[in-house]
Amino acid sequence: MDQSIKRFSFKAMGSFCEVQLYAKSRIDAKQVVKSIAAEIARLEKKYSRFRDDSFVTDINVSASQRLGVKIDTETKALFDHALTCFEQSNGLFDITAGVLNYIWDFSSNKVPSQAEIDQILPLIGFSKLSFKRSRLYMPANMQIDFGGIVKEYAADSAAKIARGLGVQHGLVNLGGDFAVIGPQPGNQPWTIGVANPKEDKSLMAKIDLLEGGLASSGDYERFFMHDGKRYSHILNPKTGWPCAGLRAVSVAANLCTVAGSVATIAMVREESEGINWLKESSLPHVYMDSEENIGGVGLKT
Amino acid sequence: MQTVRIFGLLVTILSLLSSCTEVRAWERGYLAKDEMAWESDSLESALNDHIFFSKEASSGGNSAAGGGCGCN
Amino acid sequence: MKILHSRSLIALSTTALALPGIATADAPPTQSTLSYKISNYKEDKLSRSEVPFGDLDRYDIDVHQFQLVSPISRNMSVEINANYESLSGASPWFTSTGLNGEPIVNLSGASGIRDRRSEINIGSTYYLENGSFSANLGYSEEDDYRATYFGVNGEQHFNNDLTSVSLGFSYSADDIFPTDAKIFNRVNKEDKRSTSAFMSISQVINQFSSFQSAISLTRQSGFLSDPYKLIDVRPESKRQISWSNSYRRFFKNANAAWHINYRYYHDDFGISSHTVDMSWHQNIGRSIKVIPIVRYYSQSAANFFTNVDDFLKPVTQYQSSDYRLSAFGAISGGLNFVADLGQWTATLSTERYIANEKYSAYNVSKVSTALVSYNRISLGIEYSF
Repeated sequence: MDQSIKRFSFKAMGSFCEVQLYAKSRIDAKQVVKSIAAEIARLEKKYSRFRDDSFVTDINVSASQRLGVKIDTETKALFDHALTCFEQSNGLFDITAGVLNYIWDFSSNKVPSQAEIDQILPLIGFSKLSFKRSRLYMPANMQIDFGGIVKEYAADSAAKIARGLGVQHGLVNLGGDFAVIGPQPGNQPWTIGVANPKEDKSLMAKIDLLEGGLASSGDYERFFMHDGKRYSHILNPKTGWPCAGLRAVSVAANLCTVAGSVATIAMVREESEGINWLKESSLPHVYMDSEENIGGVGLKT
Repeated sequence: MQTVRIFGLLVTILSLLSSCTEVRAWERGYLAKDEMAWESDSLESALNDHIFFSKEASSGGNSAAGGGCGCN
Repeated sequence: MKILHSRSLIALSTTALALPGIATADAPPTQSTLSYKISNYKEDKLSRSEVPFGDLDRYDIDVHQFQLVSPISRNMSVEINANYESLSGASPWFTSTGLNGEPIVNLSGASGIRDRRSEINIGSTYYLENGSFSANLGYSEEDDYRATYFGVNGEQHFNNDLTSVSLGFSYSADDIFPTDAKIFNRVNKEDKRSTSAFMSISQVINQFSSFQSAISLTRQSGFLSDPYKLIDVRPESKRQISWSNSYRRFFKNANAAWHINYRYYHDDFGISSHTVDMSWHQNIGRSIKVIPIVRYYSQSAANFFTNVDDFLKPVTQYQSSDYRLSAFGAISGGLNFVADLGQWTATLSTERYIANEKYSAYNVSKVSTALVSYNRISLGIEYSF
């Protein structure tokens, strides 16, 4: 059967999304892309904390309510995964840390005072959430942000939907988070270039993906310099201060969601611990440390 | 005893089959379709089983039996 | 799949794989589904030459089926089934010989039979990493019959999910208390026990086809005769074995799936049977399915089947003129339509069934005059939320 590669792009979850797949005709492929876009839009509408009508907003509004809020199976599964991330990072990857953004304003280069931080810290901590049956009880003023998980999950879910529609060769790229639908024809891998955050248009590494996914985490896009000190937008939920670890990490794993969680945990850890964590995972990865040295294993150059 | 033997044979055949198959995750899209399920409409299957059970002497299939009824 | 080395990675993969958009198998349904199906089942009238007196009508049954399937936690779901049947018509009472020596059916009382059957079944499935475990409990009640039953079932996947093995066990305790027992000298109250075990194995053959084979063993004991027949004496226990095989194949170019099933059955009343059915699940566009179905069934007669009740035979000797114990064949066909309307799904099923001794694959030495033919039509609606 004659199949050729078809490329589509659209905007979703505030980023550029690209779908590549092998199909007989563009019309066939378009049907698949429509279903993928619908799934990503569904997850964005449900989990975006920037939308007033999202379920996450409902959850955040419900904080302190005596009856809590009823959560569905999918949301419960996200909380379960978030708990694993929290535990595996010793509390550094915390979906309740979003409240720190109220005092850390990265557009105004303003460093908050310790007093301001101390006021916010009691509102952070995954372990302060309680789940009973299918309800979540959250203390007043706490907030949930699935931002560090849902984009990767959406890429995996989109890939699964494409497989369900019969696509065997394809790739989903949701703003730098990749999920493989199936390898290129002839069981050939997809080669993904990881951009060097320091130099435009140069690559830090190439990673071959036959299946699973690749995700990246970095502080290059959002940080500021203040009094000669670099403040990363990745904040330590325990201290309320920016993390001073790795600059950028990309990881390949059996799922984009797993790759994303491993990458984020590497970023929130202290630099040498982050590198160890990546090594111990034995997953293909590449990172840039605070001195802008590039390291990692399992990549092509 | 006969049953055990038949089943043993089945397991052998299937393990031979499976050793030469490798259907990867991304190749299972067609198998996952509703119309490929062993039972694609559970109410329809239940009704058919019930009718055939009451009009024919045979029963038993690929799931456990339910309760009896006065129809048989 | 990549082998995961570290403990942390296993933990992260486990919770990620449980996300409904990622999970491949063994996760409870992500949505609740409420279904309702109404069916009318109507048997053809018998001819006047077969029934010299009374009503020619046989069963006319309306069936209402309700089902709710709902996830209740990340790895558990519940399923509730409720059925209600209302039945009217007549059923064979005794057979005799006509003026020319041909067997004749005598249907039950002129007023016919009216009965209702209500059934409720509650089950739950617990999903494990590579399999599932389920249990269900059911109860059904008629004017003259009551069944209480339960079943357990476990399923395990092997070989990277390409092979599945299922084991199950079920038990039913039934009570029979015929109506008008005194007037017609019927039995007062009897009981019946059924124990059944099955195992099945499914195998993915390639990306388009899969195969399943199952064996089930059933043992019934107690009152297995028909209390409404003037004479009907059957053994007090019965062992049954059935071997079922199913094959599914998807045709990519046709966008359709082909199902074929074959079952062999044997019991120690002396009945053997073959059943073959096939269906073609044709997709039309994204939301319509048309499903033609054909089925062939044939069974041999029980050792003690008679087509003329022998009122002189001692009651210790087995005999039954129940048409279901005679040798016959049956051909049936149907056409089903499924429309997927987003949250709603509508189904329409039609079926025609004709049993005849001429269709039998087995030798027919005694022809039953009471073989059924029927029409069935069902309308179903399903809502997911």
